[in-house]
Amino acid sequence: MLTFLRRRIASSALPLVVVILGVFCLARLTGDPGNLYLPLSATPEMRAEFAARHGFDQPLFVQFGDYLTQVFRLDFGESLRTAEPAADAVLRAFPATLQLAGATMILAILGAVVVGSWAAYRPNSVADRVASFTSTTAASMPDFWFAIMGVLVFAVALGWLPTSGTEGAAAWVLPVLTLLIRPFGVLVQVVRGAMVTALSAPYIKVARSKGAGEVRVVFGHALRNAAPPALTVAGDLTVGLVNGAVVVETIFGWPGIGKLMITSILQRDFAVLQAAVLVTAITIFALNIVIDACYALLDSRVRQGVTT
Amino acid sequence: MSTTRAGLDSPADAPDPGPAIRRATWWRLLLRDRFACLAVVILLFVGAAALVGPMLFGDLATRQNLRAVNRPPFSLDDGWAFLLGSDSLGRSVLARLVVASRTTLSVALPAVVISLVVGSIWGMWAGFHRGWRENISMRVADVILSFPALLLAVVVLYVFSPSAANIILVLAIARIPIYLRAARAESAELQSRLFVDAARTFGTRSWAIIGRHVAPTVLPTLFTVASLDFCFVMLTESSLSFLGIGIQPPDMSWGLMVAQGRQVLQSAWWIAVFPGLAIVVTTVSATVLASWARLAMDPGQRWRLTLPRSRRANKALVKEVRP
Amino acid sequence: MITTPRASATPRRRVATALLALAAMLSAGACSVANSGPEASSGAANTVRVVLPEEPPTLEPCDASLTATGRVTRANITEALTERDPGTGQLQPALATKWNQDSPTEWTFTLREGVKFHDDTAFDAKAAAFSIDRTVGSKIDCNVDGYVFGGIELTATVVDASTLKVKTAKPDPILPLRLSFVEIVPTTTSTTGKVREPVGTGPYKIAKWDTGRSLRLDRFAGYWGKAPDFAAAEYVWRAEGSIRAAMIKSDEADVAVGLAAEDGVGDAAVQFPNNETSYLRIDATKPPLDDIRVRQAINSAIDRDGLVASVFAGLGKPAGQLVPEGVTGHSSAIQPWPYDMAQAKKLIAEAKADGVPTDTTIKIIGRNGIYPKAAEAMEVVQNSLIEAGLSVKIEMLDVNAWLEYLLAPFPKNLGPTLLQAQHGNQAGDAAFTMGQIYGSKGAQSSYGTAELDDLIGDAEQASGEERQTAFAKALEYQNKDVVRDAVIAHMTGILGLSKKVTYKPNAATNDEMRLADLHPAG
Repeated sequence: MLTFLRRRIASSALPLVVVILGVFCLARLTGDPGNLYLPLSATPEMRAEFAARHGFDQPLFVQFGDYLTQVFRLDFGESLRTAEPAADAVLRAFPATLQLAGATMILAILGAVVVGSWAAYRPNSVADRVASFTSTTAASMPDFWFAIMGVLVFAVALGWLPTSGTEGAAAWVLPVLTLLIRPFGVLVQVVRGAMVTALSAPYIKVARSKGAGEVRVVFGHALRNAAPPALTVAGDLTVGLVNGAVVVETIFGWPGIGKLMITSILQRDFAVLQAAVLVTAITIFALNIVIDACYALLDSRVRQGVTT
Repeated sequence: MSTTRAGLDSPADAPDPGPAIRRATWWRLLLRDRFACLAVVILLFVGAAALVGPMLFGDLATRQNLRAVNRPPFSLDDGWAFLLGSDSLGRSVLARLVVASRTTLSVALPAVVISLVVGSIWGMWAGFHRGWRENISMRVADVILSFPALLLAVVVLYVFSPSAANIILVLAIARIPIYLRAARAESAELQSRLFVDAARTFGTRSWAIIGRHVAPTVLPTLFTVASLDFCFVMLTESSLSFLGIGIQPPDMSWGLMVAQGRQVLQSAWWIAVFPGLAIVVTTVSATVLASWARLAMDPGQRWRLTLPRSRRANKALVKEVRP
Repeated sequence: MITTPRASATPRRRVATALLALAAMLSAGACSVANSGPEASSGAANTVRVVLPEEPPTLEPCDASLTATGRVTRANITEALTERDPGTGQLQPALATKWNQDSPTEWTFTLREGVKFHDDTAFDAKAAAFSIDRTVGSKIDCNVDGYVFGGIELTATVVDASTLKVKTAKPDPILPLRLSFVEIVPTTTSTTGKVREPVGTGPYKIAKWDTGRSLRLDRFAGYWGKAPDFAAAEYVWRAEGSIRAAMIKSDEADVAVGLAAEDGVGDAAVQFPNNETSYLRIDATKPPLDDIRVRQAINSAIDRDGLVASVFAGLGKPAGQLVPEGVTGHSSAIQPWPYDMAQAKKLIAEAKADGVPTDTTIKIIGRNGIYPKAAEAMEVVQNSLIEAGLSVKIEMLDVNAWLEYLLAPFPKNLGPTLLQAQHGNQAGDAAFTMGQIYGSKGAQSSYGTAELDDLIGDAEQASGEERQTAFAKALEYQNKDVVRDAVIAHMTGILGLSKKVTYKPNAATNDEMRLADLHPAG
């Protein structure tokens, strides 16, 4: 296992540099930030001065060299927009996103395993139809409907929950629910599909004939076999959330990395964008290593489960 | 692993009937499943709307009437064209829905299909061969996943001329890693199985093994994901339109209609809700069909579809499950 | 004439069962049962809660001409030497009690005594001179420098603790007005970087800025003037208009800034002219737009009344010039172009007969979100222009892409364009409009003529009544003989106010929201 981890981490170093370089170059293809940061009536001299001050007049490779040396000294530059260190902005926003994504994925996975298995237990039954239909319908709705309708109903009309913000446990309900819908719907479908196949496999009959209880059959034997595809998809969905839940963060005023990233792209705040992508990239790489490790573990256990 | 059995059994289980017979069986299977039938009918209808809609309603969909804006739906006072109400410029929501189906499908369908095809083939190949091919492929996927798709979109806007092809490209590239990773994972697991080894020792070429043994097991999950990706792509497309890439007013797509209607969700809900429903209905139909196809394509599961749809279905199932 | 039916309170519910749940939710939203939530549950009783569309990037005083910054900083945290009364347009004393023009290029300001900064140091001429230098001379890209001074050179010298002399390189009749944008900070303020949390002399000081979440200002006990009513102000920010409106209704905020008609704030809405004017900039250098008849036809073809009544939901006033009433230089002689499609068609046909390539495709460059329903407004314009006989396409862009078209030098190989734009004159003098927008070398100018340049140049040097007449003359000339624009409307903003607060918004509300003008209701 340790060798596996070491090799994976080593092989992730180069792709990480590619990501940094890519974002650095792509960002600079999106136009001159001077237009945004100087008043409309600024003179050409002021614009040239601005570009010189921030190094935008240098050749790209010189800029990137400077940036890399800075990064090695853990200096991620200063935000053009807010005049604070880019690292501060990113390290403040990222935990907010992680918390939200974590809570959402835990609920989505638990819910999807239960509902998906229940639906798969009797494929094509009424229960299956209802579960599949509801979850896919929910998953394919525009998320801002849920967000805005949720606010109008539960915050404005009923007064049960706050409209937005981050204060108190109640403020988590609407963002998490809005965020939950799509991963939940997708996972229910994936779990259901994999479970249908798993439950009809011969070894399930074997397990049953040995007198294993239904709960043990479904969640012990079948689920373990159905887990790999669900795990991959869940991993990708988590990656999507780590990259930021822009709609939810925008509507509920959640100070997360998604909103920060969008703002820094649209506002050409390169230092913040680069720092944000670096942090999310590291997280995504780490997450994928964890998923692969889970696979390896699951794989050996699956084999044991089948042979013994 | 269950999937293994299916892969193993399939050649033995289903002696290849003639193509004509097979087609007939598929039709029979489909007709037996009311939901799948309905899904097919809906998808055909959407397809037809995309084909002929713009010719029939193109003019109606863009005709503004500032003196009859935001007319509520379900009223025939302004004629059948305004059955679903009018939008904030007095255009028929119904006609716009029909006309927008073409742009919507012509972006969403290629985007999903390209990412599905490229991602799954690449993933199966990488997983089958393992080693450096797998390693490089997965790191490429990591890199793509780490890029904010919006940044790619803005770059496209600045570097290339905005067009529908560019949106498709951006959306497809952003979604490829999803399929790539899922296909790789299952394929890597399968390639270590006995029957693949057996096929290899018989000298079967790797692409043939992938096609015959790996793909049938890997694809069902990917189809499920792809069918749900439809709505995602349709809605994402609208956020790209917002940046000035691709579909621009007065061209219309469902995603763009939803996005524009968002502003007036409280005062004129129908402007956003109907195109949103169109997205939901299309996506759900695609998912229902995908889940039907999953059963129909799996020889070990196909019998479920041949059962008469009645209360006995459940009993029969239970009996089968508990020997 | 034009009716815009708002949402019926009870949408018909003859919907399929599958839609029932959704419909129920929607109707609940549409009915919007006003909720009498728990009384004053959040925050202290004497705190006013304000919800903004965006977090201020910084509170840097020398960026106070940026809406997001100025809205919080100006007149609340920091103050300037002078201030402009948005109602009358008159310049009032603030940190300077009086000022005097000694010569065309020299001014003397007498400063208020007994004023203290939040850090307890005293305000004096040194601080004033330092602040002017910092804004105009330092290398920190002050927005005010570009916006208000734009290359004007000035030097401030301290005469004694309460007297300041300001010299300009060229005569500048509106220097005191320009100085109303220079917020005064103590000499300890950084000159090498922007400050996020400045010290000022204003009635409120920064208590806590929980970046990303909220900003709290407390009343400054040592304030020189009348103490404001509210002991504290709590700012939060939500990007979505309907959420800001919902916060008023659920008693989570007392003031909601920047609402649109559709956000559903209901009775709590207060309308006010927000000082912005929407217009289309015509690129008059490219055929067919280089023919004045085509430009006149574009103006005649736009149904401004219809646009305002339907797309802008009645918010706004059809306009004929970029300089609104109340700003020096406004011409009462200019009326909005009347809607006359027949005339537009005739002009286009004439131009076509003379060989003007009227079938060349004209591109409308729009900007999403520049004002509510920006894309829809452009679709209406497109529709009208096509009807008049032109060929028109739309491209809606994000801010930075749009700026490439707004600001000179313009992208090369560009065909004929109409640019969707909006102009707000915060300063109250046409000098802040004319040069940059209509001067042939203006940063936002696509076309100008030598005659117009001369008229503008003369007006900029004039003062008093003469200044008003000169700018009005330039505007009239533009409107009649140049026709570089199709001005659409003076826009109207909406503010949401809870029942606990009274406030009278004015033309400056968008750019500075004085907390001292907010009072508890009753």
